[in-house]
Amino acid sequence: MQELRELAKKLLLEGTVKVVIGYAEGRRGVLPIFAVTPGEAGRLIFDPRCVQNLATYLSPRREQVVALGRPAVVVKGCDARAVAGMIRESQRSRDDLVLIGVRCGGVLADPVSAVEVSEATVAARCPGCDARVPKHVDHLVGPLPPAPPGTSALDARIAELEALSPGERFAFWRSELEKCVRCNACREICPMCFCVRCVADKAQPQWIESSPHARGNFAWHMTRALHQAGRCAACGECERACPAGIPLNLLNRKIARVVAERFGYSASGDPESPAPIGTYRPEDGEEFIL
Amino acid sequence: MTREMHISEPDLRVLAEDLVRGGTRLIGPARPPGKDGAVVYREVKGLDEIVLVGDPPARSLKEFFLPPTEVLFTYRQKQGDVELAPAPHVFPPQVVLGARPCDAAAVSVVDKVMDWDYHDELWFGRRQATTIVSVACSGGDASCFCTAVGLAPDVAKGSDVLLVPVEGGFHAEILTEKGEVFVAAHATRFAAGGRSEAAMAYRAAARGKAEANLRADPAKIRAFLESSFEHPIWEGIALRCHGCGACAFVCPTCHCFDIVDEAESVATGARRRNWDTCQAAKFTLHGSGHNPRKGQDCRIRQRLMHKFAIYPGRFQEILCTGCGRCVRICPGGMDLLEMLDRIGREPAAPGEAGRGAP
Amino acid sequence: MNGGNLYQPHLVRIDEIVDETVDTRTLKLTFKDPMLAASFDFKAGQFGEYSVFGSGECTFCIASAPTRKGYLECSFKKVGRVTAAMRELNVGDTMGFRGPYGNSFPLEKMYGKSLVFVAGGIGLAPVRCVIQNALDLRDRFKDVTIICGARSVGDLVYKRELDEWAARKDVKLWQTVDPGGETGGWRGEIGFVPAIVEKARPGAIDAFAVVCGPPIMIKFALPVLNGLGFKDDAIYTTLENRMKCGIGKCGRCNIGPVYVCKDGPVFTAAEIKGLPPEF
Repeated sequence: MQELRELAKKLLLEGTVKVVIGYAEGRRGVLPIFAVTPGEAGRLIFDPRCVQNLATYLSPRREQVVALGRPAVVVKGCDARAVAGMIRESQRSRDDLVLIGVRCGGVLADPVSAVEVSEATVAARCPGCDARVPKHVDHLVGPLPPAPPGTSALDARIAELEALSPGERFAFWRSELEKCVRCNACREICPMCFCVRCVADKAQPQWIESSPHARGNFAWHMTRALHQAGRCAACGECERACPAGIPLNLLNRKIARVVAERFGYSASGDPESPAPIGTYRPEDGEEFIL
Repeated sequence: MTREMHISEPDLRVLAEDLVRGGTRLIGPARPPGKDGAVVYREVKGLDEIVLVGDPPARSLKEFFLPPTEVLFTYRQKQGDVELAPAPHVFPPQVVLGARPCDAAAVSVVDKVMDWDYHDELWFGRRQATTIVSVACSGGDASCFCTAVGLAPDVAKGSDVLLVPVEGGFHAEILTEKGEVFVAAHATRFAAGGRSEAAMAYRAAARGKAEANLRADPAKIRAFLESSFEHPIWEGIALRCHGCGACAFVCPTCHCFDIVDEAESVATGARRRNWDTCQAAKFTLHGSGHNPRKGQDCRIRQRLMHKFAIYPGRFQEILCTGCGRCVRICPGGMDLLEMLDRIGREPAAPGEAGRGAP
Repeated sequence: MNGGNLYQPHLVRIDEIVDETVDTRTLKLTFKDPMLAASFDFKAGQFGEYSVFGSGECTFCIASAPTRKGYLECSFKKVGRVTAAMRELNVGDTMGFRGPYGNSFPLEKMYGKSLVFVAGGIGLAPVRCVIQNALDLRDRFKDVTIICGARSVGDLVYKRELDEWAARKDVKLWQTVDPGGETGGWRGEIGFVPAIVEKARPGAIDAFAVVCGPPIMIKFALPVLNGLGFKDDAIYTTLENRMKCGIGKCGRCNIGPVYVCKDGPVFTAAEIKGLPPEF
């Protein structure tokens, strides 16, 4: 913690950055802060309650944040994958940013009531994480906690769903997506949903119905899941933000698996590594066309 | 007007069964079947499903009066001509059993705008069909602040009957004519009652608990909001806000909606109204591309002003019942209690307040 | 009220289509229900929600005058989904109409006084309603001055009405186009509307002004009118804002505490100056 605070203060005092985006203690738990003074930097913390993906604040759409000036941002491994995705897709340039990586042992599924990471309290996406020490960052702080315990409940759930018939799977997703009220929290919080004009907001033509009925919700979520294919950083924020409790992580994780099988690619923390969405290799399979 | 009675838990169980057997839709705070999801208000088949005392359900009662999507009318086109068929606005009876008082109060707050010069038949059709039996809350959690907006965990506003947990059952206050009709229809379940010390103690304890979270002066907050349109506080507050609208969608008093046409086939379709939120960038986007609320700072300001200044100015009601859902759900860590506390400490005229990041 | 609920429009038929300019079109609409056609009434300045079923609704002021019964008119440019669909409609097609909504120009207050109309571009649409209303009751007003302009000759809307007003002896009409917008044979003024207001010097004593046009025109016209002696509470304008329900419930059109659909769309310059900068 002290390491992080000293580093942040130094970066601000030297003028290397104008703002450090990190985590701090709020009235009710951890929240993101935008420290512009060394005093504010003294509030920075990092612990398993720091679930938010701060990479999303780097989107050029966020004018108030952009106006603060050159940022440093505190990133876990999953967050760093999102930053890499934004750089890879030309939303930010690497020189524009200072990345402060934090070594991570998993975050809490419920950061308000739980305090320590255990098999019962850890977030479902954390077990098995291979990015606990973020690479491709400018600084690395914090001790390395033990690996998140247990195995991912997500994989178990995906296996259950894969064992169902297509009809049963459809019924499952229908009942989940019916709960959606189209608040777009999943989209607004996602670092990779940075389109200034989302396809769902287009009215001419209206590709995706905006009403929160089963049909419109399906169109929205399937489209978003496919637009995230190969790009999703698996940070889990969409599911955390969803006020209807829809298990969006399952969709994104399944599609990431398909991308890995087909293209041998998983979202990477290295902005230089080419992603399937923008790269062609002669050996890419074409059986879905022919 | 208020009559006091008593109902035991077994009697309440039978009452619930009677309602369901009689074809009345029973709604209460309950977990979704088979999953350990959050408690929400949903249709239930018996008292056992209902979580009578606890934190507010994840969503509010709003969706039973203003559904997330609602058909206004359908249209059929033939050869340049059009036929319209209105959506019905008489609804089958339903009873909410176990409403939190903050949610019941919210429904009556929104009644004001729904009746402003034009009477919204769809909203009031559902209102007419619904009896609200609330259960006094035990004081909520750290995100509740009903007392700060002039309400309380045991407030009567908006409820037809208020149940207060006591040993073996509930003290029942019958608050409205509809409440009288409800109790009369199930008269055998209720016993005579009177002042209950246990109920009063429960209510006092609940109020004390809620008050501890936030003390605010709504008049002072309104005065600040009405004079601080261009205050630097908005920029700082807006930084962490994602503009996602989750707050608006779980909020019991947020009622803003969109109206869209949707085709079902080449010649038929429906006009619907859907939940919408002032937090979305395109809420005020003109066709020309001009957006009067271009940044998140403008939009968060609108949210606070609408709730704590504009609506009170127009309807003498705060468009917030302190349920705390926005705080619990916000993925960006926005905290209305913190914001209100902060604003309450600002001088009414813009001073040298800082940038505003708490 | 309406056939079904608050949000269900009345059916109207398109009786006439006039292309005012390359991009601005006027539709003349009559209610399909003959009783409604006979009884429908509104006041100058009010607006309606016009439907193209399947595409949606759009907000326009009623561009025709309430003194002319049996029909109503709206003028629009193709800007988005609904207006694009409106351009595809033909005479005889059916649309929807909800209204009249909003407040109106207080013409009764202006009886016995002079009227000065200042309009730019399609801003002439809401003003045209008041002009026609006033001219239909011409003897109730003293002087009537109309100053209107557009970017170019081709952009002037309501050319038929402009010819009518030009021909009247009891109306002083100034037409102008922006410098560079004139064509050969143009005999009107050349200059931005505010400059022509300056040139026309309409009297401010016992007079009211009605102003509508692009924000930049209003911004420069108001000080000119003030300079001529028009007080802010004697200058009226009409605002537009993104709307959906038109009846104060959907929460979209407010500017600070003021709802454009309920407290407006007609406001005095004094009221506008009291509004927060949110439009």
